Amino acid sequence: MDNTDNRNAHHKSNYAIKNNLHLLLLLIPGLAVLVLFTFYPIIKMAVMSFFDWKIGYSQTSRFVGLKNYVDVFTDPIARTALVNTLYYALITVPMQIALGLLTALLIYGIKKFSLTFRLLYYLPVITSWVVVALLFRYIFSNQGLLNYIITEVLHISDKPVGWLSTRWPALTATTILGIWKGIGWNMVVFLAALHAVPVELFEAASIDGANSVQKFFYITLPNIKGTILFALVMLFIGAFNTFTPINVITGGNPAHQTEVVLTWMYFQTFGTVGKMGYSAALSVIISLIVSVIAVILFRVIKPESRGGKL
Amino acid sequence: MRLFSRFLAALLLLSLLFSMTGCGGQSSLPSATDKPPTETAETNDEGNASSKKPIEIEFWHNYDAGAGQIDVLEQLIAEFERENPDIKVNHLYLEWSALRSNVFAGASTGELPDVLRGDIGFVPQFQSLDILFEMSSLPDYNDVASKIMEAPNSTAKMGDKFYGIAANTNTKILFYNKKMFADAGLSIPKTLDEMWDCAEKLSNSKTIGFVEAWTGVWNIGQYIWSYGGDVMAPDNSTATGYINGPVSVAVVQKLADLYKKKALSGPTLDPGALGDTDGWAAGVYAMEIDGPWRHTLAQAANIDIGAVQMPPGPAGSIGVLGGEDFMMFKTSDEQHREAAWKFIKFMVDKKAQVAMAKVGQMPVNKEAMSDPEALEALPLLPIFEEALKTARSRPVTPKWSDIENIIATKVAEAITGQKDVQKALDEAAAEIDNLLASD
Amino acid sequence: MKSVRRFNYRYIILIAGLVIMVLPMIYMVTSSLRPNSQTFTYPPRIFPALSEITFENYAYVLVRQNFFMYLKNTLIVAGVSTFLSALLSSMLAYCISRHSFPGKNLLFGTIITIMLIPGLAMLIPQYELAVAFKLINNLWGVILFYTTWTIPFSTFLIKGFIDGIPKELDEAIYMDGGSILTVFFRVIIPMASPSLAAVSVFNFLFPFEELGWSQTILKVDAKRTLPVAITQFFQAHNRTDWGYVFAMTCLSMVPVIIIYLLLQKYFVSGLTTGAVKM
Repeated sequence: MDNTDNRNAHHKSNYAIKNNLHLLLLLIPGLAVLVLFTFYPIIKMAVMSFFDWKIGYSQTSRFVGLKNYVDVFTDPIARTALVNTLYYALITVPMQIALGLLTALLIYGIKKFSLTFRLLYYLPVITSWVVVALLFRYIFSNQGLLNYIITEVLHISDKPVGWLSTRWPALTATTILGIWKGIGWNMVVFLAALHAVPVELFEAASIDGANSVQKFFYITLPNIKGTILFALVMLFIGAFNTFTPINVITGGNPAHQTEVVLTWMYFQTFGTVGKMGYSAALSVIISLIVSVIAVILFRVIKPESRGGKL
Repeated sequence: MRLFSRFLAALLLLSLLFSMTGCGGQSSLPSATDKPPTETAETNDEGNASSKKPIEIEFWHNYDAGAGQIDVLEQLIAEFERENPDIKVNHLYLEWSALRSNVFAGASTGELPDVLRGDIGFVPQFQSLDILFEMSSLPDYNDVASKIMEAPNSTAKMGDKFYGIAANTNTKILFYNKKMFADAGLSIPKTLDEMWDCAEKLSNSKTIGFVEAWTGVWNIGQYIWSYGGDVMAPDNSTATGYINGPVSVAVVQKLADLYKKKALSGPTLDPGALGDTDGWAAGVYAMEIDGPWRHTLAQAANIDIGAVQMPPGPAGSIGVLGGEDFMMFKTSDEQHREAAWKFIKFMVDKKAQVAMAKVGQMPVNKEAMSDPEALEALPLLPIFEEALKTARSRPVTPKWSDIENIIATKVAEAITGQKDVQKALDEAAAEIDNLLASD
Repeated sequence: MKSVRRFNYRYIILIAGLVIMVLPMIYMVTSSLRPNSQTFTYPPRIFPALSEITFENYAYVLVRQNFFMYLKNTLIVAGVSTFLSALLSSMLAYCISRHSFPGKNLLFGTIITIMLIPGLAMLIPQYELAVAFKLINNLWGVILFYTTWTIPFSTFLIKGFIDGIPKELDEAIYMDGGSILTVFFRVIIPMASPSLAAVSVFNFLFPFEELGWSQTILKVDAKRTLPVAITQFFQAHNRTDWGYVFAMTCLSMVPVIIIYLLLQKYFVSGLTTGAVKM
């Protein structure tokens, strides 16, 4: 060790330059791509939010300060969209995690056909959102599969139920789609986490006479806390980014009652003309909300790792 | 060592500066008149046709491949290129909403085609982005327009200038499921009020008497007009007193009552309802006021469908004009513009119009309307011709798409019972006037 | 005997859950085997009558539509963007994990924050960029942006994994006179390959379903990727050729399933240290 230090100190200046060069070499490509294709658009978008932005190439945009933000805050539909998004997130995220974890636990405990189950449960994840949304729209529609079962097969009711006709049932139906599609991803992530828990811990617990439930709460859960946090953050971000399911299943209808933040933003960008400043302001607001949620999640679940990771 | 953080800071600053230059005309990007993928003719003197590279023009459209329209289009293009060896037409199919969003995206950069055939509703939208070329400034525009029916062409008129020319037109008539009518023993309604009655009688737990695909002026305008009301003031200066006037309120109230009795439905009113095409095919919907495509689609699904003029209201049978217009953009340079105009003239000429008529595109060319081949291909042509005599265009004003969106939302709220009809329409009027008053 | 009963109950629950999970997929496959006009009949049937089964949708999609061309485009996009993303992300991750440089924390924080921004929001500015670089109707317009979007998550995951690689291996290379680059290629890449594989699976699958951006950039038929190609069946006036949609979707899933099967064993180890050690 000492020799190494001396040698390093002796060649320090050469190594330092070479090291810095290599560092730059490794950092530049990724950085360039990120800066160019992500930083710049994000900054531009933030800038746009303070203007009455006109997209015609020969038109000039006017600086309007916070007007776009005020428009967003006073817009009843924007508020509806935000509430809907929170509803969607608060249902899909915990349910996906719970069901994904449950599936992972079950698969962890079996010996045969593990791969088959892992593949089949993951299938919905790798299917196109557009197509499954269409399928679900059909299943929940007034003449769809679900109503058929209710009216003709089980005879629970003689009139079809309008699952998608009004706000809350339609949103709930969409959450079912979201949960269905995400279980597989969670299963995979939690399986990885489960395999990382040292088997000895379980064995020791068995020797001490713990049953499965106790093992779960005292051994499994604490050891996968990090993964749960990871899943929570990723899934929340994903829930706020929901677009296709709502767009395909309800289109935000009836009368924009089922909009979520992203579909509403898309509508303001492409469904009308000239509301670019508004959309930009909405994007900034959404990003801030998601960041706040992410920070809160970090603090609540892993307060001790707040500074450690970086 | 500090170099790196300074480097990072510099990058952020540069991005900020760069994005600021985007305001006040995004001219930091290549000049709008360079059109990267096209080639322009290179000659020493102008107009010499010998060994010149052909001018390539971009044509965006949403002709229906399923109906064979793209095949016909390609035949027509081939013929046009034969007659005009110095022009080459590159056509691009884009689905309806992609067509519009691509123009929006292209508007900010100047990446726009030379010719576009798009929904008439696009004209005011695109004009508000200030990207459309004023076609009426072309010397022979009036000559060409005189060969075209006036009503459809009025959809391209803003003020006293034309920003496009009609490509094909349509309006809406009443379609009904013959079998459902026969089974219920009903006769074809002769007035709008009778039609609403029929809708109620034809509805039960498995069927719905009437379907409306949307709640914009495209859908309810015809009723408001036929009952003697209007959506906006004639000079498009205000909506108060019109969209929330007594006639409009009565119409929307009627629709709301029907919806409550489940005699009226539609995919935007109720996302659980079948789309109109799927619903027709499944024998769920009995009546719809729609364009010529409804006939073709229902027949393809083996539904025995009848067609008749939209029943009149007290003020007559006034339908809504639909269709597509050809548009040109300011981004094209003179050569491309000339070539594009030649192509457009070709497409509105009798021969092309009749060819398109055979695949379901109702012609706008006056001669083509009475052409025997067209009549044979579109047996409903006489009915539509009659309807076109009284059909009205929706207001062609720059903020129209926003206005129609407001109306669609408020009317949907009223029909689905979320809000009282008068209240919803009052809100609509207020929002529209607000919009008109703002910049 | 007790352990046998325990195993049984797990299988039962898993199979029950599986039926629910897979039912919509089965419906999709059977619908693709039905003639176009018959897709949404009432009463709905999950399994078509044997007489109804037809492969005409598949024939149409494969022959009349350029399925293989779309597939080729998608594979190119997927392959190149996955490779670039893996390379660039691992480079970034290595630097952040192993070395200190000023602005490092800021950089990592920024990278993570990027993940929070909704991608759709930046559509117009990104489109302007694409035009400026002449990337419209060009597969690179899609490749570069997909790479950009996947770098934050990949970097995050790989960095976590590299944190777990023993530093002694680095030291060994340094002692032999190697440089940072040598460490990167000789030690990090091989050791971090499970996490590279894990992110690559996610990244590879992405172009097979991304629609918003690809639809904006790839307008010309010859350059379209599969998701965009499927939308061409959504015609105007609410008429959709469902049979074709489902047939093309089922076909699109085949390469996706193959890739997943090939690389899935890396999921476990690749995700473990990356995600777990938060």
